[in-house]
Amino acid sequence: MRVLTFILTAVLLILSVSVPSPGQTASLRMAIGRDEGSLNPYTYQTGYPGWNLMTLIYEPLFTPDADNIPQPWLVRRYSVSPDGRTWTLTLHPNIKWHDGRPLTADDVKFTYEYVRRHAHSRWTSQVRLIDSIETAGATTLTIRLTAQSGGFLMQPLAALPILPRHIWEGVAEPRRFNDSIGSGPYRLAEMRDGQFYRLVANDAYFGGRPKVRELVLPIIRDATVTFTALKAGEIDTTVRALSPELVTEFEKAGGLKVVRGAGYASTILQFNLEHPILKDVKLRQAIANAINTRLMVRLLLLGYGVVGSPGYIHPDSPFYNAAVTFTASKSRAVQILNEAGYVDRDRDGIRDTPDGRPLRFNLLTLAGNPIRVRGADLIRTWLRDIGIDARVVAQEDASIIAQVWPDFDVCKGRNFDMAVFGWSAPVMNRATSLRDLFHSDCRFGTINIGGYKSAEVDRLGNELAAAVAPAKQKQVLFEMQKVIAADVPVHVLFYLDGIYAYRPDKHDAWVYQKGQGIVNKLSFIDPPKR
Amino acid sequence: MRDSTVWRFLAGRGAQYLLVLALTVALNFVLPRMMPGSPLVFLAGEDVGFLDAEQRAQLYALYGLDQPQWKQFLTYVGNLARGELGYSFQRGRPIAEIIGERLPWTMLLVGLSLVVATLLGTALGAMAAWRRGSALDLGTLGVAMFFESVPSFWLGMIFIAVFAAGLGWLPIFGAVTAGQTFAGWALLVDRARHLVLPLATLTLITTPGTLLITRYSMLSVLGEQYIATARAKGVHEQAVLRRHAMRNAFLPVATVFMLNLGFVASGATVVETVFSYPGVGRLLYEAVLNRDYPVLQGTFLIITVSVIAANIASDLLYPLIDPRVRRR
Repeated sequence: MRVLTFILTAVLLILSVSVPSPGQTASLRMAIGRDEGSLNPYTYQTGYPGWNLMTLIYEPLFTPDADNIPQPWLVRRYSVSPDGRTWTLTLHPNIKWHDGRPLTADDVKFTYEYVRRHAHSRWTSQVRLIDSIETAGATTLTIRLTAQSGGFLMQPLAALPILPRHIWEGVAEPRRFNDSIGSGPYRLAEMRDGQFYRLVANDAYFGGRPKVRELVLPIIRDATVTFTALKAGEIDTTVRALSPELVTEFEKAGGLKVVRGAGYASTILQFNLEHPILKDVKLRQAIANAINTRLMVRLLLLGYGVVGSPGYIHPDSPFYNAAVTFTASKSRAVQILNEAGYVDRDRDGIRDTPDGRPLRFNLLTLAGNPIRVRGADLIRTWLRDIGIDARVVAQEDASIIAQVWPDFDVCKGRNFDMAVFGWSAPVMNRATSLRDLFHSDCRFGTINIGGYKSAEVDRLGNELAAAVAPAKQKQVLFEMQKVIAADVPVHVLFYLDGIYAYRPDKHDAWVYQKGQGIVNKLSFIDPPKR
Repeated sequence: MRDSTVWRFLAGRGAQYLLVLALTVALNFVLPRMMPGSPLVFLAGEDVGFLDAEQRAQLYALYGLDQPQWKQFLTYVGNLARGELGYSFQRGRPIAEIIGERLPWTMLLVGLSLVVATLLGTALGAMAAWRRGSALDLGTLGVAMFFESVPSFWLGMIFIAVFAAGLGWLPIFGAVTAGQTFAGWALLVDRARHLVLPLATLTLITTPGTLLITRYSMLSVLGEQYIATARAKGVHEQAVLRRHAMRNAFLPVATVFMLNLGFVASGATVVETVFSYPGVGRLLYEAVLNRDYPVLQGTFLIITVSVIAANIASDLLYPLIDPRVRRR
């Protein structure tokens, strides 16, 4: 009798567990570092990996490919009018929500109107350009813009995930709404605050079969513990990039594979350009010349990174202007300072301005980030060598933001001297990146945290915003890089490579998205066939 | 006559505790807002820089953050009076629900650790004092000093490296095996296996406190004349230790235990963070990083209430264990 019960139970268990198809990974454990809400478009928390994971459940109309070029996804065909202001989109006919209802053009129209009413930083500004949306039947819609926009395809078309109208209609407080029914290749099967998420492949997905059957995302707060767990085989991979000092160890470890590629996240020395002394371009040029970024890459990143470009853009980006170069030189730094009249007037070892104020600055840096803390310390040493006194102040993120970028609103000004700061990879990816970073009008230069002002950059930035053709965008961006390199509103120190480790016996179909890493949709599902 | 004294005592104490509670409610509101930084990024999403002024205003209004501070305070007190702790900025869920999920884990970890540490500390402390100056005493003292001064973060890491990653005996992180469902016995085993290392870390760190207090208290009791009297009467050594010395030496330990009991609800931030244990301490830490004011307010309130409750309990219990404070 007991044997019979056992066999019955076993059979039931086997039947209840969905069996992965051949070539499909059964279950993958990928550690994340923090909670990501209920993984819907209004509750996910971080740009990375939150957005990437959320878009496995909720899908935008387009999806960036491995080269970050948006490709049709929910959309099967599309066309743009010659003036760039009318987009006609046709959806795949058989897309279903996780609850079985069909996803239609009506849901798309609803979503674009919904995010317009309910502010979300990533989309609301981008959909303001829309003049009207009209649907024709279940799968076709026409979007008209008030002006042509170079960034419209990337944001919002390839960024804003579509919401199911039948669920979100009438939701007044989206950030307190924790529904997770989307249309993506994965559905949220289980979520435990502070512990883990479990995503399961959506069998009814229109675009085919996901590469991994079940995706378990344990939350491990501590980075060291995360990598210990990976090495011990308790997880199969992590969204955390491997820190440079662990690379050799992980490359040698059995059962693990390490991939490396360009990282578009930047580490910069940010100047406050409204500072009474630092507003002098000569002084900034001297500081840039004193900093040996090549040595920084060797010492801090152990070579796993790329020296910062003077025009901000990463050398691997299609928009990089290779003609704009910069080589630091200490003697040149000294020469600039001497010529500009920055000499030590009171013989205290620190140079002074012509009217006698010492070149003494605070240098903010992020306390929890060893690379940035050590970077700030190197800068302090090198500046000391040329007679500039930088005092390193290490603080946690929110405190730094409160000084560098009060209320995340550059219109509110700033209260700092210099900061070792950084921007995430998506900033590099936007076609309008340099306008966002450097336009003097705080409505356009929304991340111009230094308060940089240049009529030339403003003019080029406005041109860039309206440029739709990639060739035109490239030409404008090339010009902008020249101006920025000369003015040094920021000094880009380096870009840390994206380095990721995983267990290839569990899953080996990872796609490295340029500048971004392996945690993206393409690692879990192939693009739908048109 | 006797009853009215008790009631007057309780009423006096009650007023005191109400005052403490009122002050805490006010401080819980003020302190988080005194930290530099803004919760906006958690209200608006990661690309917070791309919000225009109008959208910012909309968000601030939605969460009442556009109101003057005194109005926000009144709203907060009003909600509290109705038993509402509000919603987390970051998690978008009711605070009561979130704390309700975290509290059992913290009770399990910190509560159990408190019990084990108290038992262990008392036993070892008494033994050390009894054998004062012996190798046993000095050895215990040395080990206690070591664990008293070791950072819990470091000890947790060593345990992970040796017992979890190295020997593979125990899991490295979490309170449960992520993504798996267990039932019955297997469930218990899974929870227990995840509990061992954080519990051991926390216990080892906290035992020395009790141990040192017990030892010191025992030493002063052992110097009392009634101990000499008992010995002179020819009372058996074990009986002197148990009945005469330990009973009296136990009083300060009981006080410390009751104090610690109140703080069980605050969790163990560092240990919970190292082991990714889903307790209140980690919740608090994350809420600080994220400027999640409602979560900070709610958590601090729960902690205050439990500290006050523990104090009331100790007020009531103390007369039972110490005849000297009994009232006529």
